[in-house]
Amino acid sequence: MIVPVQVPELVVSLYPVAIWVGIITGLIGLLGISFQKNDLSVLILTDIVGVAMLIFVAGVATDLAEALILPGLVVELAEIMAISEILLSREIRKNNISGEDLVPTALPLNMEILKTAPTFIAVVLIAYGVFLSGFTGGVIAGGGILFYILSKSARGLPVELFEGLAGASGIAWVFWIVGFLLFFVGPPFWLLGLMLAAFGILIKVASKVGLIGILTREEFKKE
Amino acid sequence: MDLATIGGQLLGTIPLGDIVLYLTPFNLFMFGGTLAFTTLIAISRTETQVEAEFGTLKDKEVKVNLEEFKIRRFLAIVCGLATAGAMITGDLFNFTLFVTLIGIVNIGIVSAVRQVDVLNAAFQYGLIAMMASLPLFGGAAVLLASTGTLSLLEIVKLPYVTSMMTFGSLLLLMGIIGETGVAPFYATKAEMFRTPGSPFILIIHLSSLLVIVRAIEVLLIINKPF
Repeated sequence: MIVPVQVPELVVSLYPVAIWVGIITGLIGLLGISFQKNDLSVLILTDIVGVAMLIFVAGVATDLAEALILPGLVVELAEIMAISEILLSREIRKNNISGEDLVPTALPLNMEILKTAPTFIAVVLIAYGVFLSGFTGGVIAGGGILFYILSKSARGLPVELFEGLAGASGIAWVFWIVGFLLFFVGPPFWLLGLMLAAFGILIKVASKVGLIGILTREEFKKE
Repeated sequence: MDLATIGGQLLGTIPLGDIVLYLTPFNLFMFGGTLAFTTLIAISRTETQVEAEFGTLKDKEVKVNLEEFKIRRFLAIVCGLATAGAMITGDLFNFTLFVTLIGIVNIGIVSAVRQVDVLNAAFQYGLIAMMASLPLFGGAAVLLASTGTLSLLEIVKLPYVTSMMTFGSLLLLMGIIGETGVAPFYATKAEMFRTPGSPFILIIHLSSLLVIVRAIEVLLIINKPF
């Protein structure tokens, strides 16, 4: 038997269900692609097929499967970015328009919710990310920072916060490495090592995701 | 059946932790051939296409500028190294990753061209490559679930072949066919070859040929028909 005896029978019986869900999701995505004539919609629908792939891999639910999920996600992202770049440059060449027309411009809307909602959602996301800690928390907190910066810069507002993010990222990286070293050098201090590693990676990942927002803002400024 | 049935003889293994490479004459020949071709590409210069103009006797030269040339050469070398890796790896997981890398890099090589037709073909090829990641990773995951390992050296030792293993290997084959763009999806790729900048375009062709040959070996190892 490949599955260890500790795994309950119910969990093992869920695997064929996961495979069927994956196949059906993939078929729905492919059907949508075959009906759709618009290139952009086809590209978005292709992502559903990618989600079906993740269901397939996640159904195995071992650490080796996780090793397949991470590259799978990265490959999906890289391919969808490459293909959308091709689509963009094809449309530009086809219609002979300049590239700047496709960049979204600031909307002249003056509503209360546009000022308050980004801050509130960003604070909730960052608080939840800090509560989770570790890699997942870092991604969620970073998503909060990214959302805040993007929603402000899309309206053309200046964002002065987060200037020292790159430095914080480096220091957090050091914390993470020190935390890992503590596991080997001083095993009695494992709790300290764990906390250092967890919050080091939290700040590291959060600031990395936040940096994407800063880079986008600088791209906007250039134009 | 063991590895020597297809590969000639087992010359040895290179254990890198839990990733074990195995060397057979079959593997080594394709590995060396890919590396030699990649070296040739790395040192060669790009071609200049000459197009006849309609209505006059003049010719039009289609050149690749230096910046585009550098990017394309880099991507072609990455593609060659990924192909070489896929030839020699003894691990299904690495094989899957190398094949997807080939798919992405193939899109990248033609993405910088200016012809609308070629960009259209690259877009269609990219869509197929993205959809093919479902059977590719799905097949690897089903094989992992039905055998408990992704190492080909371990899979070849298994005395049985279950129907789930056959299903997984068929999914894997579908994924590889889509990702490298051979037979049923070849129409989109043939258009991509018309891009100027010939030696780098050829790696797209070579990688798909070699990967299919290696994929057949992998499928035979998993299904053990003899």
